[in-house]
Amino acid sequence: MSFFGFDSTLHNPAAAGFSQAHNPFAGLSNRDDDADALEFEDTYDGLGDQLDETDDAFNDDTFGDTVGPVSSRAPVGKDFDFFGQTANVANAIEEEHVRFHRQQPVAKVVQSVQQQVPQASTSATAYKFAPQPSSYKPARTGYEKYSQEPVAELQVDAALWGVAPKKQPAPAPVAAVSPAPAQTATPPATSTPGPTGRKMLSLEEVEAQMRAQSKKPVALSPAPQPQVQQQIQHDHGYQYSQPTQPQVPAPVDHIQHKEQSFHPGHGHPVTILQRPQSKHTPPAQPLVQPTAHQRQPPQPPPPQQQHQLHQLHQQSHQIQHIQQPQQIQQKPANVQILQNPNRLSGDVANLGLHAHPTPPIPANYPTHPVHQQQNSFSRQQILMAHPSQLAQLSEEEKMAYMDQEAKRAKRNHKIFLMSRDNGIMTPQDKNFVTRIQLQQLVSATGNPNEHGTDESLAEDFYYQVHNQIQGGGRQHPSQPLNNFAQTYLYQTGSRQGGPRRHNRGPENHMQRMEQQVQRAVEAAKNKPKNKQLVIEGSLGKISFSNAKTPKPLLNIKRNDSSNEPHRPSSSHKQPQHGTDKRSELRTIESIYTTLMKMEDHDRIMPPPPASDADAEAIQRFVAWSNDAQALNAQLWKALRIHDHSSAQIHPFIALLSYRKGKKAMPRIFRHTTQEQRTTILTLIVVNLDSLDVVRNAQVTTGDIQLNAAMRENVELFSVAVMSTLFNFLNELGLDLVAGVLGLVCTRNVGVIAKSKIGVSMLTMILSRAEIIKHGGGGSEHDWRAWDATYGQFFDLIEPSLPHIFPGTVNSGEDVYVWQLLAAIGIGASPDQQQRLVLAVKDRVMDTVALSKTLPQDLASQRLQNVNLFMRSIGLDVELLQ
Amino acid sequence: MAEAGEEVNSVSEPLDLVRLLLDEVVCVKLRGDRELKGRLHAYDSHCNLVLGDVEETIYVVEDEDDDEDIKARKKKLIHSLTISRKSEMLFVRGDSVVLIAPQSRAY
Repeated sequence: MSFFGFDSTLHNPAAAGFSQAHNPFAGLSNRDDDADALEFEDTYDGLGDQLDETDDAFNDDTFGDTVGPVSSRAPVGKDFDFFGQTANVANAIEEEHVRFHRQQPVAKVVQSVQQQVPQASTSATAYKFAPQPSSYKPARTGYEKYSQEPVAELQVDAALWGVAPKKQPAPAPVAAVSPAPAQTATPPATSTPGPTGRKMLSLEEVEAQMRAQSKKPVALSPAPQPQVQQQIQHDHGYQYSQPTQPQVPAPVDHIQHKEQSFHPGHGHPVTILQRPQSKHTPPAQPLVQPTAHQRQPPQPPPPQQQHQLHQLHQQSHQIQHIQQPQQIQQKPANVQILQNPNRLSGDVANLGLHAHPTPPIPANYPTHPVHQQQNSFSRQQILMAHPSQLAQLSEEEKMAYMDQEAKRAKRNHKIFLMSRDNGIMTPQDKNFVTRIQLQQLVSATGNPNEHGTDESLAEDFYYQVHNQIQGGGRQHPSQPLNNFAQTYLYQTGSRQGGPRRHNRGPENHMQRMEQQVQRAVEAAKNKPKNKQLVIEGSLGKISFSNAKTPKPLLNIKRNDSSNEPHRPSSSHKQPQHGTDKRSELRTIESIYTTLMKMEDHDRIMPPPPASDADAEAIQRFVAWSNDAQALNAQLWKALRIHDHSSAQIHPFIALLSYRKGKKAMPRIFRHTTQEQRTTILTLIVVNLDSLDVVRNAQVTTGDIQLNAAMRENVELFSVAVMSTLFNFLNELGLDLVAGVLGLVCTRNVGVIAKSKIGVSMLTMILSRAEIIKHGGGGSEHDWRAWDATYGQFFDLIEPSLPHIFPGTVNSGEDVYVWQLLAAIGIGASPDQQQRLVLAVKDRVMDTVALSKTLPQDLASQRLQNVNLFMRSIGLDVELLQ
Repeated sequence: MAEAGEEVNSVSEPLDLVRLLLDEVVCVKLRGDRELKGRLHAYDSHCNLVLGDVEETIYVVEDEDDDEDIKARKKKLIHSLTISRKSEMLFVRGDSVVLIAPQSRAY
């Protein structure tokens, strides 16, 4: 198949087409079809043999291998100037940056200046020394110069920046210091040349300088001008400050500029020439000074220069000052150390303002065109002599002056060193960091504002309780944190107050910080209790941790729906109302949880509404009591009072076999209604014989030794449960007491009476009835019911009476039994009393007999115990003796 | 049933089981061949424990370099020294806790 009659079969598909790389094997591919075997010799086109590898050694030169043989490197030209070119471009970049910061007025000024000074002497020098800023070395001490060359004072009125002085206190010292290093570059020996190494003066330059020197006295003659004006002119100011300079570089630069602009390899200078502004003047200064300095001393100054000297120094220094900030800004351009980007532009705006009026040119002004041009755009008269005019001073004065200068420079340098990192963080940055820190502090230590609430109690229960016990009346549990915060604030305030005292006082700062702390606290309070916090703009996540919630290493999402069917084990394996230990323990824990909730809830009880008018208070109170009721219901459910299981022991009674179950009783009674308490009491009485402290603590006449754990249990039960019940019982009416006694009668009274707890319970019930009787309470009907119940009870307990004494007579632990007997005896009828005496007669006689063998005090003790019973039935042990 | 739900909820993490042992006598096995038996008063998420009426038992196993056979060594282990002491109250740092077990009830 072919188009246009081409035979496609003739087409060699392996041949290179347009834009295809030549395929050395293309010719072979056809052959492959016929030839079965592929010989290497056939396929190899021999190109490899043509390779000239002999000069590979030059690779080193090309690619900069310094290890290569010297001989082979020799022929390579040295016309590589990658760095220089790059540096030029870098310079341009910097310029662009600065220009970006400067605004429209700048450009205008620049242009106007440019027009007036087409030669752009500054730009030429600037170009030459453009790389200088990069070689700026703050490590220099900056003192070298002072041993040889005096420099004018660096005292500067901050107003010169066109900014209110109080806004500039911090930058000023920095600016004041930095000139030193810049100027140290001036001595040729110690100077740090730029990458291009254009430090050396060309012959033209030297000649120009010599010529300029002859003109210099003329330049010095003009009268002084207001300082401000001069400062504003700082962009070109150095030319005034060092009168030799404007004349010297102008022609030279002109020439150079021409050369460069014709030079194809120097495309860059053109861009620089368009922006010959301040950026370049400062670096240019180093060049100017040495030459001027070297040349001037031999020249005898005109007498009038002497009196101008001081002025001159001031001025030249002011100029330097102005240049310094720029240098600084130039260096870490992005950091914005000075925090005042407007300053530069404002400053330039000033320049524009003042530069435009063209002042009259003094008659005696030098005729050099450049000079005239410069003069024309400022009304300033050139009056300055070079500082080196000082050389005309007397030796002593000079020394003193230099000494002073050195001191000042030293101080400034020190300040500079100390403040080198100043401004790397803005005050805003610092505040931001502080805020984050405080936020974490707050979240770690807890919110000081929530003290007294259940939140803090839940976080820190034992501390709070301990604190309340120990500290008592201390009003502010948050005091430590507040103190800490105060200290912290004060520190921060005072630290920052140092350099910035001028713009805002520490007080103000303190206030700000306090506000911030409050805001941080507020934010922390409002913030949901996340384990992690991602603050906008912060670096990474912040994980909180405290003792309660340690930093989570695993972050597993938990299913909130708890009744998941796939949930393993426990719930359905166990009988819901089982009496197994774990469910009992769990029940106790839920009781405690609920109790704690209720206690917390009690703490936030709002004051009862003072009047009916206070709708809000009423509402609050109603809401609170609703919650309380809900909690009460929860507690009641947790107590499982109404769980009637088939199990032998009622679940609630089972709870009482645990220490913590017993301990919970007083608290439970505090949070239950009267009705509920009665129910609990009833329940306990009904199950009295199945209580472990009754069932497992039966007394035997022989061995009174219960095991220690049980004794402990009994003790705890009587302390925790019995006392609670006792207090409750003492508020009950006779009908209920009779009912309780009736319940006892339905149980195994013998078992009950043979335990200490059971005996105590019985004593409690009987004595309560007796107290009611003494108080004259109880209705006739009640008393009849009581008497009937009592009779029934007496019949039930009578057979057990001889066996309820613990141990032998010797053990002497039978006080509680005598108490019971007394309680029985008081309420007993004479007939019952008779039976009572008969039942316990042996014990009484034994005790009396024993007491005779005992020491006096012990004997009387025993007899008193017996007497408790004897007196209740109108007898006395005395009668028996 | 809500109550049942609560119960399930209360075992949502292992330490909830430890919570059930609060105020109970527990056996705590510690690193360094130590065992404690005492009443658990408090614990926290690091398994720091506060125990009351503690009996501490330290098993001192004497490592003998001789090549005794296993039987002999076993014998040795059985007769190895145990040091025990009692403390009224003990704070146990959690990082040494290996095991917390309920003591089987006496009755």
